[in-house]
Amino acid sequence: MSQTLSTDTMLNKVPEVAVIFWIIKIMSTTVGETGADYLAVNVGLGTAVTAAIMVSCLAVALSIQLMSRRYMPCIYWLTVVLVSVVGTQITDALTDKLNVSLYVSTAAFAVALAATFAVWHAVEHTLSIHTIVTHRRESFYWLAILFTFALGTAAGDLATEALGLGFRYGVVVFSGLIAMIGLAYYLGANTVLTFWLAYILTRPLGASLGDLLSQSQDYGGIGVGTLSTSLAFLAVIVALVAWVTFQRPHVSTAVLTIF
Amino acid sequence: MNKPLLTVAFAIAICGLDNAATPGSLPLLSIVSPAQAASKLGDLTPFMTIAVDTAGLVDKGDLPGAKIRVKDLETKWDGAEAGLKPRDASEWHKLDKAIDKVLQALRAAPPDTVACKSALGDLLAMFNSAMKA
Repeated sequence: MSQTLSTDTMLNKVPEVAVIFWIIKIMSTTVGETGADYLAVNVGLGTAVTAAIMVSCLAVALSIQLMSRRYMPCIYWLTVVLVSVVGTQITDALTDKLNVSLYVSTAAFAVALAATFAVWHAVEHTLSIHTIVTHRRESFYWLAILFTFALGTAAGDLATEALGLGFRYGVVVFSGLIAMIGLAYYLGANTVLTFWLAYILTRPLGASLGDLLSQSQDYGGIGVGTLSTSLAFLAVIVALVAWVTFQRPHVSTAVLTIF
Repeated sequence: MNKPLLTVAFAIAICGLDNAATPGSLPLLSIVSPAQAASKLGDLTPFMTIAVDTAGLVDKGDLPGAKIRVKDLETKWDGAEAGLKPRDASEWHKLDKAIDKVLQALRAAPPDTVACKSALGDLLAMFNSAMKA
């Protein structure tokens, strides 16, 4: 009885774990950005102190993530949120403090990301995200993620600056692009390429979505406010991560069953 | 992995479209033309009011009070970035820099009255010209 029940649960919930992956990824982007912004402006720590705090937190989280022997959802997603913050801060520092053009930073991060994949592939002969089983592969993985966030921030800001793309159409354009990538995957496009392209685009999508909810109605937003939006997203993330953690044994069994 | 991704993206696109289709929505891609640039940021009165308040406090010699009041401008301006910047990024950057200078002047240790007045004067002039056209 319990075997049947757990098999049913597994078959239904394996794909949902993948849906949850993208939902948490998109929401963590928003929370990361608004959280850092809240510390810098509302709490009044300033961008330099906030950046120092976030880099320190990332160092601690990433160390725990790298040292752990298995996938732990809470540490993994905490690291993603902090990489999101630091990746955004790197782009913002280049743009606001060093006056680097967004065209230059977008191009530079695209090259850096491509170089990371090139070295990763040259060393490991695979870019598979399903076999992150060594420290070296995991280091490539996190470096690539850092560059996707920096690139996603720069490309998203460039769309705003150069094209006047606001968050309302940003939500439509970026989710449309992601849907096209999903379609390309179905038509046989490379799995690794489609995954990472989608990963980059979820950065500006998450930012647009957060803005849509938080911005006042005067600017075309829904007017929930930045703090409420971030807290709501954070609550959803915590709930989903808790759920994923709780579901893990079923998922592992399901994967074993399929194989 | 990508089927759920497609679902999420599609669901979000629907939400966005629903909202974007409401009356008074922004043009899809608003390329900035210099002739209309001045008025494109829209109503800046709420920001200007705080700047005027701050300037009044500086004139009275209440620099600590001005420093507290200008925080409202920083918070409000930062909070409206996503709404304002796409309307006219270059004009937004000019005002953003001017606000930064005011914040720097009022937060200097110790703040210099002349520098505060000059920074606030520049900012108010910029608000005025942005609102006029």
